[in-house]
Amino acid sequence: MSRPTVTIIGADGAASQNTHPLPNVFKAPIRSDIVQAVHTGMAKNKRQPYAVSEKAGHQTSAESWGTGRAVARIPRVSGGGTHRAGQAAFGNQCRSGRMFAPTKVWRKWHQKINLGQKRFATVSAIAASSSAALLLARGHRVGAIPEVPLVVSSAAFADGALKKTSQAINLLNAVGAAAEVEKVKDSRKLRAGKGKLRNRRNVQRRGPLVVYDPTKDGKELVKAFRNIPGVETCDVYALNLLQLAPGGHLGRFVIWSSNAFAALDSVYGSTTEPSELKRDFLLPQNSVAQPDLNKLINSSEVQSVLRPVRGGAITKRSVVQKKNPLRNKQVMLRLNPYAAAYAKQGLGHQKADEKALTKDKTFEATLHEN
Amino acid sequence: MAAQYENLSSDLIWQISRKNNSYLCKRKQSGGVQFSRDPLNLTNKHSRKYAGFANAQAIGINADSPNTIGLTTKLPARANKPAKSQQTASFAASTPSRKLYKSVVNTTAKRGYRADLRAAAVARASAVKLAQQQKKERAAPKPRGAAARKAAESS
Repeated sequence: MSRPTVTIIGADGAASQNTHPLPNVFKAPIRSDIVQAVHTGMAKNKRQPYAVSEKAGHQTSAESWGTGRAVARIPRVSGGGTHRAGQAAFGNQCRSGRMFAPTKVWRKWHQKINLGQKRFATVSAIAASSSAALLLARGHRVGAIPEVPLVVSSAAFADGALKKTSQAINLLNAVGAAAEVEKVKDSRKLRAGKGKLRNRRNVQRRGPLVVYDPTKDGKELVKAFRNIPGVETCDVYALNLLQLAPGGHLGRFVIWSSNAFAALDSVYGSTTEPSELKRDFLLPQNSVAQPDLNKLINSSEVQSVLRPVRGGAITKRSVVQKKNPLRNKQVMLRLNPYAAAYAKQGLGHQKADEKALTKDKTFEATLHEN
Repeated sequence: MAAQYENLSSDLIWQISRKNNSYLCKRKQSGGVQFSRDPLNLTNKHSRKYAGFANAQAIGINADSPNTIGLTTKLPARANKPAKSQQTASFAASTPSRKLYKSVVNTTAKRGYRADLRAAAVARASAVKLAQQQKKERAAPKPRGAAARKAAESS
């Protein structure tokens, strides 16, 4: 099978003559379970330690009153002359007591994730970004884009061709991503809860991820794109799962520069060719060659070993309502083939012979013999 | 799926997205009913059969304007070209219902395109058509009793 190709879209949004074979990384297995597990771990790695004060709730010289004073044995604030005296202290159930299990800065904030798993998750997320159905299921407005994966000619970025945000917006409009950007803009809302007070005031959707090759496309485009809501940029040599599968949900809308797209094969290699840039990395194999269940079931390999359907075209209905043969003639005939002749001869209407059978004379004698 | 490797299928897409997707509408009432907002879903039920985004072939019937009924079908060969992946047709709300159902069925189920959705497609076309019908205004109630006598006197 020849490798599928992707059309390279020009800066004006029209398909160019150039195509690029689909890099092998798009052949990687799509495993949402691995992506979700790795994402949960990675999402924890940017956390800042927090804790309540070590002294909180303990800045008093409370002592228990012991038994015999008809109050609970919780430590109580000593002294007098103020309402505070005699109040319970320290316990987590007490007013102005310490919290239960005070948080500590030495909590385990970060998660170590095996490098192999991280790489697996990343290639899985990249592969999932090539399915229009998964982009739609994730909520991206991709109805107007010409192709998935969307590869834009590097001529649109290289040599500072894309320096200004207005140019970046024009490019997004040209490739049909306008609806997506508009969706992000409209989605900006006040965050629910305390996050508002903690420098996370607004929430908004994620838009397209622009992936570029900094060695060839330059880095001017980062500044051009950075003020467009929801649009993120990423270096193809440092793709990040948190951007490729935000929230652990597969199918981020990715806009590739053609240079970045071309670099994917050298970054990830294939299932047989090790990656040039990642040491000891081969793309993971798919555990099934055919993920389409219908094709699998209808394949000649499976069909040829199935036993033929029993009973042919006419199948016995096993569970049907029972019919009363005394009322239903057809059922009676099925059960008792003699019933037809019996009814025809009118045997059921004949009177039985009145006379009792005459016994053989020897009958009684034989009966009583023993 | 032309520009795609064989590591994806509608079965896999469904498995990935059945728990949560952008079209899914989960409600706590009525035993946690799950509906779908997918325009290519004929019954608005969240299920493998009716999921428009997950199936390579899907039929959508919607009111595309206040007085036209739109019929959308997915083109499986262009699954990776979203801008060109759908075929649309439009029917005026005044199209006779039998003709409408016939057109819907003839362009889809009869050609072997999702024959399993035949009944659902006709039912939805019918429902959309019904919704677009102009409501007749109710006749003014005839005066009865005292009001009728009064009206007769005044005239």
